Parts: sequence; C-alpha cells; structure tokens
Amino acid sequence: MSGIEAEGLVKRFGPLTAVDGLSFTVGSGEIFGLLGPNGSGKTTTVRLLSCLIAPSGGTARVAGFDVQSEPLKVREAVGVLTENPGIYDRLSAFENMEFFAEAYGLKDKAERGARIRELFEFFDLWDRRDDKAGTFSKGMRQKLAIAKAIVHRPGVLFLDEPSSGLDPKAAKDIRDLMEDMSRREKRTIILCTHNLEEAERLCSRVMIIRKGQPLATGTVEDLRRKMHGAPALEVTVEATNDALLGKAGKLNGVKSVNLSGEGALIFDLDDPEAGTPDVVAGLVKAGARVKAVNIMRPTLEDTYLELMKEGQA
Amino acid sequence: MRTDKVLLVFKKDWLEVRRNWQILAPILLVPLIFCVLLPSMILLIPDSSSSSSEVGALIRILPDAVRGEMAGFNDNQIIAYLMLTFIFMPFFLLIPAMASSVIASDSFAGEKERKTIEGLLATPLTDAELMVGKMLVAFIPSMLVTLISFVIYSAIVDVLGLPLFGRFVLPTLNWVLVIFLLAPAVAIAGIAITVIVSSRVKGFREAQQLSVLIIVPIMGLVVGQAFGILLLVPEVIIILFVIFVIIDAIILRIGLGMFEREEILSRIR
Repeated sequence: MSGIEAEGLVKRFGPLTAVDGLSFTVGSGEIFGLLGPNGSGKTTTVRLLSCLIAPSGGTARVAGFDVQSEPLKVREAVGVLTENPGIYDRLSAFENMEFFAEAYGLKDKAERGARIRELFEFFDLWDRRDDKAGTFSKGMRQKLAIAKAIVHRPGVLFLDEPSSGLDPKAAKDIRDLMEDMSRREKRTIILCTHNLEEAERLCSRVMIIRKGQPLATGTVEDLRRKMHGAPALEVTVEATNDALLGKAGKLNGVKSVNLSGEGALIFDLDDPEAGTPDVVAGLVKAGARVKAVNIMRPTLEDTYLELMKEGQA
Repeated sequence: MRTDKVLLVFKKDWLEVRRNWQILAPILLVPLIFCVLLPSMILLIPDSSSSSSEVGALIRILPDAVRGEMAGFNDNQIIAYLMLTFIFMPFFLLIPAMASSVIASDSFAGEKERKTIEGLLATPLTDAELMVGKMLVAFIPSMLVTLISFVIYSAIVDVLGLPLFGRFVLPTLNWVLVIFLLAPAVAIAGIAITVIVSSRVKGFREAQQLSVLIIVPIMGLVVGQAFGILLLVPEVIIILFVIFVIIDAIILRIGLGMFEREEILSRIR
C-alpha cells in the first residue's frame, strides 16, 4: 500500500494557482523530498495532504484514506511538523506533549507518559520537561515540535525543515531518527527542505516543484543523469604528457578523455563504476603513477539549480 | 462530538489563560469595580441630592411588587435600594460579556498571533470539538467570575446596608434570575460571536475591538433600567432569556457552519 497517492492535485486561492496538477506516489517506508524555492507550493501541498485545506481539483489518498471524504482519518494517521514549531509558550514541555498526545488519540495516561519520556530522553529534553516552552532555545523548540509530530507514531510524517535551528549533533540525531523510522518502522516521510545536502543524504526520491508544477521527479541519481549525463571519472596522476593522454583515450570503455586545469585526467565512460578498475589498470600499465581516483557526481544542488534555470527559461 | 476532546481543548486553553495576565487582569478588575466599589460608594458616601419629587416620580413607574419591597423606606433608603437592587443589576450582565469577550478574543486569534494555530488545526480534533472547547474556556471562567462577583456584591450590600435598611436586601428573585438565567444566555451569545470573529481576524486586538460591540445591547439594558424604560423584573428577565436562547442557537449554528480550517489558516499574519 502506498503511503501517499496524489493524482492531479490542484489548489487555487482566487486567481493564484498554488499547486497545479501534482501527481506522485510515495511508497510505505520511503523518504520523499519535496524541493523548490520559496512560494513554489511545498507548504500548500503538505497542507493539502494533511487535510488542513481542501483541494480545488484532483484526488489524494494518504495512509489509505481519501483527503476529501475522510479528513479526520487522514489527520489521525499523519504527523505534521509545520514551518513554525507551534509550541504553546505558556505550557511546560510536558504539558505541550500531553495535549498533542491526547489530541492524537493516546488515551491511556501511562502509555502517554512512557511515550513522552521516550521522546524526551531521545531529544535530551527530559530534564527540562517542567519548564515553560517559552524559555526554550530555538533548537529545543524544534526538538519539541518534532517530538509532538511523532508522539502518536504516525504512519505518514510531513516534516517542514526539520533540522532548521538545530546544532550539528541534534541535526544528525534527527536524520538518524528519520532513517530509522523509514527503514525499521516503515513510516512514510515527506521532507520539505532547502537543505539539499540533507535531501540528497536522506531521500530515496525527490520532486522538484516550481510555481506549483513538478519540474522533475525521481531518485537523486536519476535527476543527475537526466541533467548532467553519467558521472565523469577523475584520475590524478603524478605527471601527464601527450603520449599518456593518447593511450588513455584508447582504453576499454573510454568515450573521451580530457585534461583538467589541475592536471587530472577526466574520463567520459559509459559506466564509471564498472569501468574504473580497467582504466586505472590501463594507466598503470602505460607507466602512469596514479595518485587519486574520484567519480565526479554533480551534487543535487547542481541538478536543482540547473532545473530551476531550465524552468525559468 | 467527543466530550473528552472538548475538555482537552478546554484544559489546554485554561492552562494558557490562567498564566496570561493580559487576559486575567481585565476579567478580574472590572468585576472588582462592580462588586466592591459601586456598593461601597452608595452605602458609605451619604447622598441626598435627589429631591422628594424626583424620587416620587421614579417610584410611580415601578411595578407594585417593587414598591411593596420599599414600603416604609424614606427617600434616601429608596434611592440606595433602587441603585443597589435595580440600577446596578444589568452591570452584572456586563461582567460575563466582558470577561468572555476577552478570553474568547484570544481563542483563535491568539493562536494565530502566536503561530500555534496550524499545529492545532492539524490534529484530529473536529471543528465542533475545537469550537465548543474554545467556547467553554470563555464561558466557565466568566460565569465563575460573575457568580463570585454576585456573592461578594450581595455580602457587601447586606453587611454595609444593614444599618440603612434594617434587613438583608439581597439576593432577590430578580437577581437570581439574572445571574443564573440571563447572564449565561448573554455570555453564550457574546462568546459565540467573539469566537467566530476571532477565527476570522488576524490578531487578538482586532478580535477584541470587534467583540466590544457585544456590550452595546447590554448597555441598552443598563440605560433602560436606569430610566425605567425596560425594568428587569421576573417576566422581562424570562422573556429576555428566551430571546437570548434563540439568538444563541442561531449564532452557534451559524458559527459552526462558518468554521473552516482553511479560512482560519488563510488569516495568519
């Protein structure tokens, strides 16, 4: 069963079309990145899928429930980390969690208490549980907001900039938690982020949207290949000369070879992963002393920027 | 509608309200003026500015039952009695209206201002549970304040007025009907309107400014009572109660119909 199935999702606010025909599916246990510039429709998409607003067109099923006819069931099944942490400053951290745990259906007090303790200990908040949330730092508020979003162990989780405001250790803990929830607990996660490195590291697939429309959907590798072709192989050798360059160009599987500004050989191969050992062996045989080998993949950021440029054209 | 979820919203909001002096100060200060200062001024500062003819004219428009209550009183006693048991009575409709409007203004508008509304609306609480929970948190404290104010007011009037009247004069049937029937009905109307307004404006201040309009009809009752145009006697109180119950039902129905998560979210600053 899919975590999310959206078909032709549209949202209009008067003359403005914020989401314009988005179709995608997200499998159970998948981390799906929703990427795009500010105002691209990411937040509106999350609001549609978490039943905060109704679609103007199209359909969507979240955790097996229809967003139009079963909004309450959808809201029960999902956890949402909104752009703003949504923490009640005058309530203590524990009171905040108690409220959300009960609102999300954790009826048993002992069960609630145990779950809150488990999360607070994970997020290093247990010692501050009785302090008013208003006294918390930005990072602590973000941790509390994430804790409240997952307190009921939702099957589908929407996270808007989860590592925003967190120190590197806490950000890593959150990433580990997301991976754990995805792999071990098979929870579906929609990650909205501007942190492309984080998206690249975590997401099995991403959708890049602009002005409410999808520019590209797929694995990070798919998008890279689509935008930049296969990655290049960079081999740094002690000394280069024309003879070596000529021999390198004739090696098995090599389509072309060039010399970079830094003196490294840049190979264009059909399959860089499979071809690397043969190329390195061929270079050694040709008398080269190999210092470093690197498969040059464009980052998700390169791909994203390229797509944005294309989208604007 | 699940009662436990309504009470959950109530409990959460009540915890917030009771820690918020911006809200607590006005709902405690206004009743204090009405229940302590007003009777003390009447009973501790002697006033003989009204002439016998003015008092006579006032007595003539009163119902027989009221005139009977004042049998044997001199002019000063009559004026004090009328002020304490009649003229000030509608002020006690202002207490729940003002207290509830302050709390209710904070309901959705306050959450928008503090940017907690999206998280709240994302929970699986139904529209009715959210709305009724938020109305309860305005209704219960404001009715408690009204009831406590009435008890304090009655005690002050009876203790300080004993030397003047020679007997306890409060509570009367009129007061009991006003406090236990009319005040809750007026409060519900005020709260329902304020919660609707609060859900459709961007901030607490806007909600409060608009909800102050609820006080206008109550001020009409104050003026009506003071000039003998509309006296709050049992028959009038019961008619007003029935009218307000009908108004409450209509406003609540409209309010629930107008409650839309999307509309609320669209008005976040």
